[in-house]
Amino acid sequence: MIKNYFKIAIRNLLRHRLISFINLFGLTVGFTCCLLILTYILNELSYDRYNKNADNIYRITRTFYNGNGDATLKLSTISPPFGYYLPTDFPEIQKMTRLLNIGTTSLRYKDKLLNEQDVYCADENIFDVFTIKVLKGNPATALKDPFCVMLTEETAKKYFGDEDPINKVLRGNNQFDLKVTGVFKNFPSNAHLHPDILISFNTLKDSAVYGEENLRKNWGNNSFLTYIMLPENYNVKNMEARFPAFLDKHMAGQEYIGQQASKFTKLDLQKLTDIHLHSHTDYEAEPNGDIKRVYIFSAIALIILLIACINYMNLSTARSSLRAREIGIRKVIGARKKELILQFLGESVLLTWAAILIAFGLLYVVLPWLNTVSGQNLSIDILLKWQVLLPLLLSPIIVGALAGLYPALFMSSFQPIKTLKGLFKVGGSNISFRKVLVVTQFAISIILIITTVIVFQQLKFMQNASLGYNKDHIITMAYSAQLNNGYESFRNTLLQNPDIKEVGRSSRIPTGRLLDGMDAYAPGNDSMIPVKADIRYVAADYDFIPVYGIQMAEGRNFSREYGTDTSNFILNEAAVKAIGWKTSQETVGKNFRYDNMDGHIIGVMKDFHFESLHQTIAPLILKMPAPVPNQTYYNAISIKISGQHLASTLSTLKQTWEKYQPDLPYQYTFLDENFDKLYAAEQTQETIFATFACIAIFIACLGLFGLSAFAISQRIKEIGIRKVLGANVSGIVGLLSKDFLMLVGIASVLAFPIAWYAMNNWLKDFAYRIDIQWWVFLIAGIAAALIAFVTVSFQAIKAAMVNPVKSLRTE
Amino acid sequence: MIKITNLEKIYRTEEVETVALNKLSIEVKGGEFVAVMGPSGCGKSTLLNILGLLDDPDAGSFVFNGIEVAKFNERKRADLRKHNIGFVFQSFNLIDELTVFENVELPLIYTGVKSADRKKRVEEVLDKVQIMHRRNHYPQQLSGGQQQRVAVARAVVNSPKLILADEPTGNLDSSNGNEVMQMLTDLNEQGTTIVMVTHSEHDARYSHRIIRMLDGQTVLENIMV
Repeated sequence: MIKNYFKIAIRNLLRHRLISFINLFGLTVGFTCCLLILTYILNELSYDRYNKNADNIYRITRTFYNGNGDATLKLSTISPPFGYYLPTDFPEIQKMTRLLNIGTTSLRYKDKLLNEQDVYCADENIFDVFTIKVLKGNPATALKDPFCVMLTEETAKKYFGDEDPINKVLRGNNQFDLKVTGVFKNFPSNAHLHPDILISFNTLKDSAVYGEENLRKNWGNNSFLTYIMLPENYNVKNMEARFPAFLDKHMAGQEYIGQQASKFTKLDLQKLTDIHLHSHTDYEAEPNGDIKRVYIFSAIALIILLIACINYMNLSTARSSLRAREIGIRKVIGARKKELILQFLGESVLLTWAAILIAFGLLYVVLPWLNTVSGQNLSIDILLKWQVLLPLLLSPIIVGALAGLYPALFMSSFQPIKTLKGLFKVGGSNISFRKVLVVTQFAISIILIITTVIVFQQLKFMQNASLGYNKDHIITMAYSAQLNNGYESFRNTLLQNPDIKEVGRSSRIPTGRLLDGMDAYAPGNDSMIPVKADIRYVAADYDFIPVYGIQMAEGRNFSREYGTDTSNFILNEAAVKAIGWKTSQETVGKNFRYDNMDGHIIGVMKDFHFESLHQTIAPLILKMPAPVPNQTYYNAISIKISGQHLASTLSTLKQTWEKYQPDLPYQYTFLDENFDKLYAAEQTQETIFATFACIAIFIACLGLFGLSAFAISQRIKEIGIRKVLGANVSGIVGLLSKDFLMLVGIASVLAFPIAWYAMNNWLKDFAYRIDIQWWVFLIAGIAAALIAFVTVSFQAIKAAMVNPVKSLRTE
Repeated sequence: MIKITNLEKIYRTEEVETVALNKLSIEVKGGEFVAVMGPSGCGKSTLLNILGLLDDPDAGSFVFNGIEVAKFNERKRADLRKHNIGFVFQSFNLIDELTVFENVELPLIYTGVKSADRKKRVEEVLDKVQIMHRRNHYPQQLSGGQQQRVAVARAVVNSPKLILADEPTGNLDSSNGNEVMQMLTDLNEQGTTIVMVTHSEHDARYSHRIIRMLDGQTVLENIMV
């Protein structure tokens, strides 16, 4: 029996090649998208699971609250004294390990001098917590002594080639020597952080580096990634409930605007395996994924598969009249309805199986594309496990049944007498059902078009928005304390080149985040009172404002002509508002206290987008710190250039750098490159949206193409008669297209509110966003109608051109 | 074998009501060869469909082999049909996607006969209708006469007690037509009951008895001698 079904199925598929091709192609593309997205999703879900104890490792995060009780900052990092006290106060902590990213660090071995980004100080037990293979050196002791360093395989190779790296010495920041004591395997790509260089944590105890005192008492330096390992099945609520008391006990004397610690700060435990998709703190070790993206892409995959299934339902029921006779004969001979249903389901499952097998082949071709677009490193291997493969290979049973059940039920209920007498005509409810399916497909396509356009608009909006500063022709470089003494001379040398306009220093630069904040006091009735708002801090020198072309609303910039400017402040308008002052005019000249330092407000900047447009403009304060020997509050030099004679400008820059800082690598970045990175996630999303929207529309069109071909073939005689009676080609094309265009119209009406709702929600993630324009909907509707018209008219014109004598003879 | 009493069948559309069978009573005994004749629209095809358990009557009784089947549901009818009744149609009604052998094999598949037995029985009947040499051809590759021989083979492969033939020679030339009539006569002589609808007086003469119908009723019965 099954052999017989199989035979009939294969022969039927071969006999109706166009329809079979459309079905197979649609399902194949649908499955390919699904596999592609499944690969992506499984990879996203696999983050940090490589760790043997993944389920028992937690990261401690810290949230800050302002005077009004609003959470203003959430960090994935905490300050070092927590690490000092946690293991003693919480005996259930089995292991604790800390990582501190020390930022761009130059490393030199012989003549190799390079800047490294992923340099961390790490506790010696890091490899007890994270399951990373140590290739050379003793994992238990390699990071025990100060000034020891472990490298990834790749980094070791970069500096030492084929030489044995162990016991070689790297010079760090031209300040300290680091002895290589081990080599470890790179953290896997699905880890939430990827240290290349691990310096022993004990190095920090050296007072020239950071100092033991700081490790115990500096509650303000929230830069330490702190991971703890807890017993299996431990209830973390238990520990979190004891955090407030812990904070108040150890942070006595650390009041912030007059509140005790547990009122303005909070600690939380974050599961290691939740970090990649669920953590959205303001500071992450590396950019994370987002569970929302996982949901969106899953939905897209299912939608595309649904469209392919709809094609199958549509085309199968449409051409069911061709099979009516076969059904009739089978029934007369004795087939039960159940047997016929099984037969038709078998056909759809068979086709679906073929589709998924071809899709696996296609995946090899398209996965590299997705990797390029998304910057991911996805591999098909993630699918090649039986836990994944088995359900995948069985999925055609479900998908095939979904696509084939309606046609099967529909066809198996044909009346044998009618089908055999040729009286049979497909009509009535089945035609309306097909219309519902076509409307569904087009509604989905229209939603995808609207979505794509709005994502694109928002992206363009963010890229072209007026930022309040000038991001063009700005070069940034790392600043080091070694330049403290020679800085003015360095700057003047640069400015001798007429193409170098301004040179300034700051702790942070626009396109970055604003994460530093201290307590602020403003004049009250008779004393200074705490400011409840959270004001972010940037250390900036005289030239920061001119480099970025930031506009002053009132007052003045720091000036070399005033000796006292190191104790003065500049606010932005957002800060003025947050403090509760009415105008910029009344602000300038007021006393202010920030970070326990008293001074005057000398100017108010107009608001500008220091951070990306995802964030609202934060209250900001600029302060010019007094110089301290061998230390610096500045991290970056920003250089405004004319944009002319770039080669000679860069050469001046290089020569000057090498003259003043020969021991640090010469490295620069254009600010607009940073700027582009701000919206890289949206850019990727846009590309992927657009691609999948096109695929969905294409599959829908294939279905429409097949359906219209069939619908028109049913009307050949009518077309013939109309032509004999004097209808012209355009009239007939209009007649045949009208029905389908009406369906697109209905689809639009259904799609608009759904698209509006979805995009309105999506836009809520942006502090600065576009308004959804009505014409986007109109254009999407027209585009869909146009696509439908082209698809249908291709068939309609063909039918209308036929000589009526020929079409009437088909009777 | 067949006894129908006061059988009624009415076709309804929104505006028109057509009485296809009007209190019809007929009896066919086992081993008989009965021809049903009458003008188009007299109800003879409806009668054949009800006899073949393809359609159910609106009223009246239909006893098949001593069982009242008028109220059987579709599943029961299908079961009864596939074991007891073979069909031969004017337009042959072979499945285009299946070969001659596979078409004839189909009823045995639905009755659950094992593969080896099927092969034996299909070959036997194909031999009997002399189409064995075309066993791997598709229906379109055969002449009309050959197709109808395949259809007859398919109707008898299950050894049904009753064969219902709906104008079996309607699409055939006279020599092919005679060949098919001879095959039916041979089957009847081997004990199979046959009810045949026909327009052809010539074909009707192969039967034992002719039932003439008009407007859903029998008007005359001729016993052939």
